Amino acid sequence: MSRLAEVLPRRIDLRILFLALALTAIGIAMVVSTTAGTPRGDLAGKQIFFAVLGLAAAGVLLAIDYRILLQYSPGLYGVTLLLLIWLPIFGKRIAGAKSWIKVGGGFQLQPSEFARISIALLLAWILENDDRALLRSRTIWLIAGAVGLPVLLVMLQPDLGVALTYMPFLLTALFFGGLPTRWWTILIVTGTLAVGGSWFLLKDYQKDRIRTFLDPNLAARGAGYQVRQARIAIGSGGILGKGWKQGTQSRLGFLPVRHTDFIFAALAEEWGFAGVAVFLALYGLLVSRALSLARDARDRGGSILVILLVLNIAVQALVNVAMNVGVMPTTGITLPFVSYGGSSLVATWCMVGLMLSVAYRRYVNV
Amino acid sequence: MPSAREDRRPVLSRVDIVARGTWILIGLLAGVYWVHQVLRGEEYERQAENNRLRRVPVTAPRGFILDRNGVVLAENEPSFTLLLYRRETKDLDASLRFVAELFNRPFEDLKRRVERDRSYYDFVPVVLQENLTIAEVGAVQARALEHPELVVQKTERRVYTQGTAAAHLLGHLGEATAEQVAARAKARPGDPNLPRPGEAIGQQGVEATYQDLLSGTSGSRTYVIDSFGREVGESGHESPLPGNTLRLTIDLGMQKIAEDYFADRVGSAVALDPKTGEILALLSAPAYDPNLFTRRVSRAEWEDIVADKNRPLNNRALQNVYSPGSAWKPFVAYAILTHGIDPKERVFCPGGLTFYGRHFRCHGTHGSVDLATALQVSCDSYFYTMGKRLGIDALAEAAGLFGFGRPTGIDLAHEKNGIVPSNEWSVTVRKHPWYLGETISVAIGQGPVLVTALQVARGMSGIANADGSLPVPHLFHIGENVRTGERFVYRPQSKESIPYPPGAHETIVEGLWRVVNMPGGTAYGSRVPGLDLCGKTGSVQVVGQKEAKKGHLLPEELRDHGWFASFAPRDDPKVVVVVFVEHGEHGASAAAPLAARLAEYWVTKSRGGTPEILAQVAARPLGRAPARAN
Repeated sequence: MSRLAEVLPRRIDLRILFLALALTAIGIAMVVSTTAGTPRGDLAGKQIFFAVLGLAAAGVLLAIDYRILLQYSPGLYGVTLLLLIWLPIFGKRIAGAKSWIKVGGGFQLQPSEFARISIALLLAWILENDDRALLRSRTIWLIAGAVGLPVLLVMLQPDLGVALTYMPFLLTALFFGGLPTRWWTILIVTGTLAVGGSWFLLKDYQKDRIRTFLDPNLAARGAGYQVRQARIAIGSGGILGKGWKQGTQSRLGFLPVRHTDFIFAALAEEWGFAGVAVFLALYGLLVSRALSLARDARDRGGSILVILLVLNIAVQALVNVAMNVGVMPTTGITLPFVSYGGSSLVATWCMVGLMLSVAYRRYVNV
Repeated sequence: MPSAREDRRPVLSRVDIVARGTWILIGLLAGVYWVHQVLRGEEYERQAENNRLRRVPVTAPRGFILDRNGVVLAENEPSFTLLLYRRETKDLDASLRFVAELFNRPFEDLKRRVERDRSYYDFVPVVLQENLTIAEVGAVQARALEHPELVVQKTERRVYTQGTAAAHLLGHLGEATAEQVAARAKARPGDPNLPRPGEAIGQQGVEATYQDLLSGTSGSRTYVIDSFGREVGESGHESPLPGNTLRLTIDLGMQKIAEDYFADRVGSAVALDPKTGEILALLSAPAYDPNLFTRRVSRAEWEDIVADKNRPLNNRALQNVYSPGSAWKPFVAYAILTHGIDPKERVFCPGGLTFYGRHFRCHGTHGSVDLATALQVSCDSYFYTMGKRLGIDALAEAAGLFGFGRPTGIDLAHEKNGIVPSNEWSVTVRKHPWYLGETISVAIGQGPVLVTALQVARGMSGIANADGSLPVPHLFHIGENVRTGERFVYRPQSKESIPYPPGAHETIVEGLWRVVNMPGGTAYGSRVPGLDLCGKTGSVQVVGQKEAKKGHLLPEELRDHGWFASFAPRDDPKVVVVVFVEHGEHGASAAAPLAARLAEYWVTKSRGGTPEILAQVAARPLGRAPARAN
C-alpha cells in the first residue's frame, strides 16, 4: 500500500489529470451559469454526474493495458460500426437526428461520441503494424476507410458536427504515419473538390450557416442572428467580463444554444478576455503535456494513440472557439470538457484515461 | 518487440511541429478574441445594452392653454397608444396584419408608417395607432404572448374644451413627420426635446408656435427584456417634465360673442388692445373642430373638411387677403393730411367723377364734402380726387407706415403679406408700368390693393392711438411653469409708430367718430350710447357695379363683402375691432353690429363691468343693423 501511494502519483500523470479536471470544472461552472434559473436548470447536476462517471471510466481505462485494447481494436471498431449502422435504420429521431440510444433513467447514449475512441485505437493499431518511414498505399486506403466509414454513417443520422470531429483523425494518422508527397497532393486536390462538391449535398440550414458565416449581417433575425449575438456576447465581455452568471447576452437568452455549441461565448462574456486567455492557456498546456507524453511513450502504438486522442480533442476545441467568435462557420461542434453533453464528456474522459494509461506504462520495466 | 525509440524519430519531429503549431493557433485565436473583447469591446457592450434594455419614452403632459381669465381652452385626457417594437418583431407582416384587422385599417397604411420610420434605431417604437378604446386595449393585450412586439402605452390626448371656438388660433396637434423631425434636428443639433416621428406635436396655431413651451420634456422608462421581448425587470426611469401652462390674451367671453355671430356666416373678426397688441378675440369662420385631429380623423370627415369650398382650415383673419374697400379710406386720409392738403378743402360729389377719360362712380351724391365728412359718408368722389392728386406712391407710403404689405408679426404662422401697390411694385411684380387710372381705384380700397383683417386691425390701432404707436398683435399672455409656479411674460415691443402732424390725428378720429355717431354716418345704426365707437365701413364688390346694385337679390356668393374697422372709446381707446363678412353685402349691416357689440363688451369690462353686466351685454340679441349705403 505504501509502495502504491509512492509510485502512483509519479506514474499517473498528474498534470494531464489536473488540467482535464480544471477544464471540466470550468465547464460545470459555465453549465450552471447558462442554465440556472431556466427550465433546464437540472443540466448542471447531470453534468456533474457525467463528470464523475467520466472520471470513473478514465480510471477503468487506466487500469487496462492499452496494448490489450490496441489488439482488440478491430473488434471494438466492428461493434462501433454495427451501432452506427443500426442507428440510421432503427434509431429514434430526437431533435432531428437519429443519434441516440435510450439507456434508461432518462439518459441517452450517443454512440458517435464513443466511436472516436475505437477509431483512435484502430488507427493506432494500424500504424503500429506499418512502421515504415513512409506509409504504404494499402495502409493509406485502410486509414481512409477506417475514418471514412464512420463519417458517412454519422452523416446519415445526420450529425455533421460530430462527423466533422472524426476528420482530424485522418489528417493526424496520415501526417504521423508518414504520407508520401504525391499523396499529399492528391489529398489537397480531392479535399478542395470535396469541399466544393459538398455544397450540393449540404442541407439548406447547413448552407445558411456557411452563408451567414461569410456575411453575418445577412439577416439580423435569421440565420446570421446566432453568429451576431455570439459575437456581441464575446465582445461585450471586455477584459474582465461581466462576472459569473452576470452575462446579459446569455442569461437573457440572446445567445443561442448557450450551454452547448456557444458555451464559450458565454464564458467570454462572463469572464472576459482574461478568462479566455486562461482557458486557452490551459488547453495549450494540455496539448503540450500530452504531446510530450507521446514522445516518452513506450512504443509507436502508444505514441500515435496519445497524439490521435489529444489532437482530436484540441482540434475540436479550437474549431469551437473559432466558431464562437465567427472565424469559422457554425457546425454544431461542441467544446470538449465544457459544453453540456453526457456522452461527449464521458467519451472525452475515456480519452484522457487512455492517455493516462499510455503515460502510466511509459517505462519499459513496469 | 519493435519498440526502440529510434524507430520513432520521424514521429517525434512531427510532434514538435504540431506542438508549436498548436500554440500558434491558440495565439491567433486569442488575438481574435483580443480584437473583439478589448479593442472593440465598448462597441459590443453598447450592442449588448441595446439588446437587453428597452427604453420606452414617456411623453410629458402637454401644458394647458387658458384664456386671459383662466378658462381652459385646451387640456388633456387619458388615452392609449399602440406601439410596435421592430426589434422584437419576428414577422412584421403578421404583426401588421393583426393590427390591420383589429383596427380595420388598410395593411398598406401600417406598412408605410413602419417604413417611414425605418431610418431610426430599431429599439425606438413606431406609433401604429392612437386613442385605442378599452376594448381595443383588451384585444391587443389578449394576444400579448403571440405579439410581444406590440405594446399599449398609456398616454394623454389633447382635448379642446370649446369645440370649434377659437379653433384657428389654438391650432391642433398632428403626428410629427420624419421630415419635421429631421428639419428640427438639423436646426437645433443635440436638442434633447426632439420629438419622435409620429409623436403628436403642434401643427397649427399657438399649439405650433409654442410647441416647445407646451410640450415639456419627455421622460422614459427603461425595461430589461429577454430575447423574447418579455420584460424581466425595470432598470430605471426618468420622470417627464410637464409642459408649461400657456395663458392667452384671448377673452373667451368676447370670442364666444363673435363665434355665435359667425355661426352661419363666413369671414373673420379680430379684436385687440391697440396699446399692447394683445389679441382679445380672433376668429375665422367657418371653423373646424380641432379635436378631430386628436381623435382619429375618418376619411369621410377629412374629405368633408378639405372639399369644403369655404376652406375651414384657413385662418381667414391672416391667411386670406381681400380688397379693403372703403375701410381703406382712413389710411388714405392720413396720406392726404401729411401731403399739405387742407382737410377743410371741399370736393363736390355729383355722384361720380371722370378721370383719365373714365367715369368713376360714387355710391351716393354727397354734394360738397371736406375730409371728415368724406369719411363720415364714405364719399368716393372726395377720395378719387385726392388720390389722383397724391399719386400712388404717396398712398403706398402711408399704407406702409400703417403696416400693410408685410406681416404683422403675430405669433401664428403662415401670415399673408397682402399687396400695397406702387410704381415700383408694378414694375417689379407685374412687369409693366403703373396705370394712373388705377390710383383712382386704390384711393377707395379697390384695385390691386390686398389686405388681411389682422393688418387692418393693426393699422386701425395706429389711428386709435393718439401717439400713433403701432403694436405687434400677439396671443401670448403669460406662461406658467406648473412645477415651480414661476411665471414669464413676453410682450413684443413695437418700435413702429406713425408720425401725426398737428391736428391730423384729431381730424381722422373726428371723421371716424361721425361714421357711427352722427346721422348720415354709414354705421349710424350701430351706435351705442356712451361707447364713443369710431369706425369705418367698407364693402368689396364681387361682381360688376351694375349687378351689385341688386344687393341681397343676388345669389349669396355674388354679394359684396362687408368690412367694419373700428375702435372705442374715442378718447383713450381700449379696443380695436375689425369684422369682415364674406358676401355680407354691406359693412354697415353685416359687420358693424358685431364690432359694436365686441367693443361694448370690452369697454364695459375695462370700466369694471361685473360678470352679470357683461353677460347682459353678451346676451342682448344682435340683429342686423338697418342696411345703409356705404
